[in-house]
Amino acid sequence: MPISYACAFSHAPGILAWSEAAPAAQRGNLHAGIEVLRRRLDDADLDALILFTSEHWTNFFLDHVSPFCVGRSESYEGPVEPWLKLAKTRVPGHPALARELLAECYANDVEPGFAHEMQFDHGTMIPLHFLVPDMRLPVVPIMVNTLAAPQPSARRCMTLGRIVGDYARRSGMRLGIVATGGMSHDPGEVNHGIIDQAFDRRFLEQMRDGRLDQLAGYSTDDLAAAGAGAIELLSWIALAGALQRYRGEVVAYEAVFPWATGMGLMSMTPEVV
Amino acid sequence: MSTYGLQKMIRDVNRDPQLRERYFCSPEALFQRYDMTADERRAVLERDFGALYRLGVHGLLLRPFSILHQVSEPDYLKAIRQEK
Repeated sequence: MPISYACAFSHAPGILAWSEAAPAAQRGNLHAGIEVLRRRLDDADLDALILFTSEHWTNFFLDHVSPFCVGRSESYEGPVEPWLKLAKTRVPGHPALARELLAECYANDVEPGFAHEMQFDHGTMIPLHFLVPDMRLPVVPIMVNTLAAPQPSARRCMTLGRIVGDYARRSGMRLGIVATGGMSHDPGEVNHGIIDQAFDRRFLEQMRDGRLDQLAGYSTDDLAAAGAGAIELLSWIALAGALQRYRGEVVAYEAVFPWATGMGLMSMTPEVV
Repeated sequence: MSTYGLQKMIRDVNRDPQLRERYFCSPEALFQRYDMTADERRAVLERDFGALYRLGVHGLLLRPFSILHQVSEPDYLKAIRQEK
């Protein structure tokens, strides 16, 4: 069975915490795009959701860094940020699916870390809040280390995605995959506030057209040139690897300067591989 | 990473309300718990966010830490960009 649903979703906290700072036209376009993604998720009648996501020193620190970490918890609490203007809630997990995904990865020579306890920050809670407002769907987060060098390569993320996608297609479950992060932004760094729109548009085109070779060819430096936060696009690359063949659609893109982030939203219609 | 102790202290202050209170009472009292150089300690005591950035503190640790010190975004960016 093809993967039942897929989308990519930038997670700038401004969309909740200081939403009004953005021009109304940009907000309107983004929320119309979000509505398309949410409606398609509803129509997909999913059993569970896999998230390629990243975090902001919420769970992990330099005492132990792994390139990928699969969440095996029964549930996750989030958001951790009291300022996000989003009530703290509990998101159901899916430890059995997490176990299967880990087994599949290890059988294919990719060895993510795993965690039986994890909290979600805005990076995971923002897409979940907009896509599954009632938090009814069990999720398996796959955290990608986007913070501390060395980060996993784009090629490795695509390989991980491929393994996850292969499992999803023969799981017998109706699985959706969400990639979150990016696009161009440089949070807390010297180029904070700068958005490389040319980079974002090129990346969106490559994602839309499923140019896997080009996506796998990004180095960490290529991504970081669009800001430290653009490294989070490794999640999108993992998603492209999971889908392999798909029709991509950019449902919205806005360079939102008051949120200091290039906000990209994509819907992908998977095809049978 | 050579700034490990410094970044660890900043992350703990960002995350732990009790430790945060102790830090704001007396940063020196916290220093014994973390392996930090003299330059790192000085930058913390002087609230020199530009120096902390150049010492290698990650932006997603340093910006939240600066917010705890009521530093506005323009002032933070001036500090890390070495602007007057």
